[in-house]
Amino acid sequence: MQASSVEIRNVSKFYGPFQALRDVNLSIPPGKVTCLIGPSGSGKSTLLRCINFLEDYSAGEIRIDGRMIGYEAPGRRMRGRALREMRRSIGMVFQQFNLWPHMTARENVAEGLIRVRGLSRPDAAGRAADALAKVGLADKMDNHPSRLSGGQQQRVAIARAIAMEPRLMLFDEPTSALDPELVGEVLHVMKALAGEGMTMVVVTHEMGFASHVADQVAFMERGELVGVDTPGRILHQPEDPRIQGFLRTYHERNSF
Amino acid sequence: MDLLQTYGPALLRGFGVTVLCWALGTLFGMTLGLLIALMRHYGPRWLNWIIQVYIEVIRGTPFLVQLFVLYYGGPLIGLRLDAVPAGLLGLTLYGSPYFAEIFRSGFRAVAPGQIEAARAIGMSEPSIVRRILLPLSLVSALPALVNFSIILTKETVILSIITVPELMYQVSRMSAETFRFVEANLVLALFFWGLVETISRLGRRLETRITKHLLERT
Amino acid sequence: MFSIPTFLESLVPLFWAARYTLLISVAGIALGLVIGTLVCAARLSPSRALRRAGAVWVSFLRGVPLLVQLLVFYYSLPLFGLDVPAMVAAIVTVGICASAYISEIWRGAINALPRGQAEAAVAIGMTPQDVWRRIILPQAFTLSLPALINELILLVKASSLVSVVGILEITRASQAQAATTFRPLEVYLAAACIYLVINLCLAALGRYLEHRTAV
Repeated sequence: MQASSVEIRNVSKFYGPFQALRDVNLSIPPGKVTCLIGPSGSGKSTLLRCINFLEDYSAGEIRIDGRMIGYEAPGRRMRGRALREMRRSIGMVFQQFNLWPHMTARENVAEGLIRVRGLSRPDAAGRAADALAKVGLADKMDNHPSRLSGGQQQRVAIARAIAMEPRLMLFDEPTSALDPELVGEVLHVMKALAGEGMTMVVVTHEMGFASHVADQVAFMERGELVGVDTPGRILHQPEDPRIQGFLRTYHERNSF
Repeated sequence: MDLLQTYGPALLRGFGVTVLCWALGTLFGMTLGLLIALMRHYGPRWLNWIIQVYIEVIRGTPFLVQLFVLYYGGPLIGLRLDAVPAGLLGLTLYGSPYFAEIFRSGFRAVAPGQIEAARAIGMSEPSIVRRILLPLSLVSALPALVNFSIILTKETVILSIITVPELMYQVSRMSAETFRFVEANLVLALFFWGLVETISRLGRRLETRITKHLLERT
Repeated sequence: MFSIPTFLESLVPLFWAARYTLLISVAGIALGLVIGTLVCAARLSPSRALRRAGAVWVSFLRGVPLLVQLLVFYYSLPLFGLDVPAMVAAIVTVGICASAYISEIWRGAINALPRGQAEAAVAIGMTPQDVWRRIILPQAFTLSLPALINELILLVKASSLVSVVGILEITRASQAQAATTFRPLEVYLAAACIYLVINLCLAALGRYLEHRTAV
């Protein structure tokens, strides 16, 4: 597996008069895990969604393996075909799973292989089974999403993304919609994926995951990237008072 | 122009009858609907069951057939009504289950805690209905009430078939005498389009006004 | 006095007439589905003109009473040189009228889908056509099935109005029978019963489908 790198340069985004991203700069090295943390509404999810151009950005550029996504040149939109081409190698996992309820787990995973990668149905079904086995759901393949727990649904969603053999994975608060006891199984799968050398960008509130798995942690507040460093430097010896404040609130809420 | 002189007054009278039938039909239908909803909310089980059958029957049969039963069948059981009262009664009965359902879902939209709070301070059931249940449920039921009232304007044309002299009846008479079927009905169509669009717009304005009023008062 | 034999006797011919009621409603909803889908596509299209045209179509058909629409179409078709049987005119009118409501049902169902459903498909690189065909439309159809059955029930009732152009469906047949038997109460109640049975069956079908497709 080849892993992608992402370069985010001077990216800004406006929703009308509201500035959601302020001149963000971030390098995401290949094969490494980058966690985006920060208070809600800080722009972490927006930044993540800009990386596969589910959101457009107003200024700056985002390059994946050197190629800019969303625009052919500054101000000139990419054609749908080229954009789809780039998205094929970017997997995304959503907070609300977004599994398709009218398809079984296996069909959810196979759909993209058939429609996007052009695999035959039997090949796609085989690949889907492999991907589901990898996330520990070999026995749940023929269940519809409504028959699966939240943790299982999110693992199917991860399988759906990795079956496409992406070189970059984006995770948008993958455990925020889960009951606490189901968080572990999803983080476990993500950790295994990181161990294989996948480039991962993870928006998360799980400081434990960030601390143990991330290679670098980026802290955002009010659309601004306040600091990027190793987990140790950001989470344990933060210098910026904004990061200190955020972590203090986090610890207070999670202590008992 | 001659046409307008000849038929103008009749059309105007027809319009008057349409408005009258609609206004009274809506008022009576809404009242009956509210009573039904309250009976379902507070009444015993067997009453609820009877009401359920009534609602299914009215909603499962065409308005036109209901009118025929009332107007032509009525005299056989001693219910002798002129066209206009028969039409009004028909509209009232026809609208009532729809209004009842609207009120009922309005009742359900009121948080139980609101009613419990009123009981906890010792309010009587009738005053809870009047002061808490109705005003609060009206807020959520209002759009549907306005919407269904508008639907009823369109149903009034069906009254022409049992010879209620409303607008459509007059237009049909006029077109039969002048053989201008297409023009007459097209004008009638445009007229209704304008009418429904206008009252929809007014209805939405009224909605926001009443909602504001209810929420500020309660 | 209410005569039960008369009531029972009128049920048989009215049941026979019910085939026209069903023909008009079912053909009407089929036509309505075709036109309604096009109207819905127009209302969701990027073209402003198409969106406007769709909105006017819906507003007109929802603002004008069906009886008036029916007479307009019925009397104006010959003007365009279309000498169609009354039955066809009736089906076309009912179908056109239903299209306005069906397009709104579609639109409501499509708008009710969570945005993430399409996003997940876009994120793995599916084409817009595939996103519609594989993700949005199948779900919208399932979501709107109960509303479509409800629309069919409305059409069964609305089809009573085509009696005014002389089609011998349930209502017209009951009028004819009331005139010959002089027992309007029994005959019209019999007609009401048949409508009720048809609609209760359809409602049961609707509940069954809703239950079965609830994933």
